[in-house]
Amino acid sequence: MPMYQDAEADPAVKALEARQDEIMRRLYELKAAVEGLSKTITTPDADIDVAHLSEVVNSKPLAGTADLDILLGKNYGALRDIVINANPSHPPLSLLVLHCLLRERFHVLSTVHVHSSVSNVPPHLLACFEEQDKNQSRHDFQLGFTLIWKDVPTPQMKFSIQNMCPIEGEGNIARFLFALLGQQQDPITATLVDSWIDMAIFQLAQGSSKEKAAVLRTINAALGRSPWLVGAHRSLADIVTCCVVLQAAGPVAIPANVQKWMKSCENLPEFNGVYKLLQ
Amino acid sequence: MTKEENNGAAEELQIQSKKALKKQQKEAEKAAKKADKQAKLAAEQQTTSEEDFAKDRYGQPAMVQSQQKPDRVLVRIQDLTPEKADQLVWVRARIHTSRAKGKQCFLVLRHQQFNVQALVAVGDRASKQMVKFAANINKESIVDVEGVVRKVDQKIESCTQQDVELHIEKIFVISLAEPRLPLQLEDAVRPEGAGDEEGRATVNQDTRLDNRVIDLRTTTSQAVFRLQSGICHLFRDTLIKKGFVEIQTPKIISAASEGGANVFTVSYFKTSAYLAQSPQLYKQMCICADFEKVFCIGPVFRAEDSNTHRHLTEFVGLDIEMAFNYHYHEVVDQIADTMVQIFKGLRDNFKTEIETVNKQYPSEPFKFLEPTLRLEYKEGVAMLREAGIEMGDEEDLSTPNEKLLGRLVKEKYDTDFYILDKYPLAVRPFYTMPDPSNAKYSNSYDMFMRGEEILSGAQRIHDPDLLTERAIHHNIDLEKIKAYIDSFRYGAPPHAGGGIGLERVTMLYLGLHNVRQTSMFPRDPKRLTP
Repeated sequence: MPMYQDAEADPAVKALEARQDEIMRRLYELKAAVEGLSKTITTPDADIDVAHLSEVVNSKPLAGTADLDILLGKNYGALRDIVINANPSHPPLSLLVLHCLLRERFHVLSTVHVHSSVSNVPPHLLACFEEQDKNQSRHDFQLGFTLIWKDVPTPQMKFSIQNMCPIEGEGNIARFLFALLGQQQDPITATLVDSWIDMAIFQLAQGSSKEKAAVLRTINAALGRSPWLVGAHRSLADIVTCCVVLQAAGPVAIPANVQKWMKSCENLPEFNGVYKLLQ
Repeated sequence: MTKEENNGAAEELQIQSKKALKKQQKEAEKAAKKADKQAKLAAEQQTTSEEDFAKDRYGQPAMVQSQQKPDRVLVRIQDLTPEKADQLVWVRARIHTSRAKGKQCFLVLRHQQFNVQALVAVGDRASKQMVKFAANINKESIVDVEGVVRKVDQKIESCTQQDVELHIEKIFVISLAEPRLPLQLEDAVRPEGAGDEEGRATVNQDTRLDNRVIDLRTTTSQAVFRLQSGICHLFRDTLIKKGFVEIQTPKIISAASEGGANVFTVSYFKTSAYLAQSPQLYKQMCICADFEKVFCIGPVFRAEDSNTHRHLTEFVGLDIEMAFNYHYHEVVDQIADTMVQIFKGLRDNFKTEIETVNKQYPSEPFKFLEPTLRLEYKEGVAMLREAGIEMGDEEDLSTPNEKLLGRLVKEKYDTDFYILDKYPLAVRPFYTMPDPSNAKYSNSYDMFMRGEEILSGAQRIHDPDLLTERAIHHNIDLEKIKAYIDSFRYGAPPHAGGGIGLERVTMLYLGLHNVRQTSMFPRDPKRLTP
């Protein structure tokens, strides 16, 4: 069998063997890693890495160096498209504000679609993004922002379908989009912002008129102490809360500080689109 | 009388071969038995006919040879509603099923995809013999029936007209069907899988196609082809509203348009000709002849020897070609919008048909976006790579990858219809316009429904020099395509277009699994009849 002997001496076969050994080694490593992980999962609180936690606390705000590759991981050489499904009967205003902010920072391709599950979407919702340069091809953009008017109970975001489950809820999507802007916050501020968002989304938007009034009083009190809800600058808490107040307050009377604060929000350029939409 | 005839036929048998003899013998036996039975029946009728008071109310009248023009209004079964209650109406329909029970007989009368329950009961209107006659009419026979529409207390779940039934007063057979059907309609509409559980039969594809005329009578087929007609109508309607002109192109052509391998050759007097693979050249010539926006609905032939669920050798092509001003996306948007208008029209006007098909072949409703989602080839490749598929930048999409990409797009955007733009130049035909910013890509696009390609299109090269260059690059004999290239020499506007397969669109819109289900008389490498 000369052919067989030839193959025996062939460097290609050797290379193949070496590759197999390498694969086996990597498999063992993976197995060990998975076993380690499964241990941490079964042990309560073992997954909190205290050393890592303190490191985050001490790190300086990273403003200005937001790199999408760092934030979002591997780039496959094409447009990263954020898909947001929203119900036209309840437009997610805060996400439109965040869209404006994203556009200031990145080269964003924004598109609006209507899903076949809804019909008769009002024309101002179809034209909620400003005109864009039509001459550019899709891959010239850094980020895609695809808004789909669809029959969904709550706003929903789909981004990386391989690694992320769909994200439900306007507040959660807002947090994600804001994080793309790359402003890091210390844990206390971040938690405060989060709690304002929760209050806005759950108590103000969906609560009874009694609850609404209570939240508005709380906001009013907070705004008595500082110009914005959290700290000295406009934060995500202001964006989400203001949008919810605009949409949900309805018959409830708006206190003085809140009115003043809403005026300042209205003056922000990123709110332009939202106010246009409401008219 | 039939007995004698049959016996006579049996005697005339000629001995051909053992097998044939046996078969014929068996058949003769069968026929004799049948004749016996019929004779008995006739005899029975004869003995009792004297006392039959209702003998004018039933029977088999002479063949309709247009002897009379009676003033009779035949009401359609779909119009038998509670509003017609207690009216005496005439109906022409087929006997779908009949079930005799002592002194009464229940019939289900069918017309197209609608059916109604009818009842003949012994009483002052019908005699015993009439009930018997009604019960013995062969299935699928066409009858004229006069009856009173009556409301029912309980809905009749098995019929489309659930609120009424027809109390028959007269019944005449207009066309008698043979007693034995090659396939049963109930078996043909049974959902796949349901038959296995209950131990009942389902009909396989080949039996259906061999007896297409009967299979086409099923509610499912009726709905499929009504919807298909709707697609054609919506396609025409939308394009004409957009200012298109319908053209008719020859199907017998002298040269193959897209490579010579997969064309049918026909003998044409002293020379040979081909059957058109697409009206491509003629559409383009019409553009050069200043028709600006044209479309064409007609047969297209492919001599590919592929026996798959989505290939036919003859299908109906819906072709579009349009001159544009500056960017071929003007055309892409028009085509995509046409498709969306078709989907919307089907969603709004063909609800019953879609539901009927879904009963037998359940599928999710077809979802789409407006405006249509347009991804670039690069993005598609990136999505596939992210899902773990290894493929080159300029590699063509394989069918499994095409389907996977469809699933990924559906997951992210929740749409069954999307456009993939900017294909690699290497995988497209020679007349495809290269992308100005990247020579590796081209101004071409495919459209997908449920992850399968339905349209392939591109901006065509309207410059004769570039066209020649590309043809040489593809090793095409310039002599053969001279006429084609020459048509662009006298001023040709920039243009783009695409072609859709009608059967595929129907199949994928309804979520069916085989293109033969949506082709009335399918043609594939193994089937030339019926």
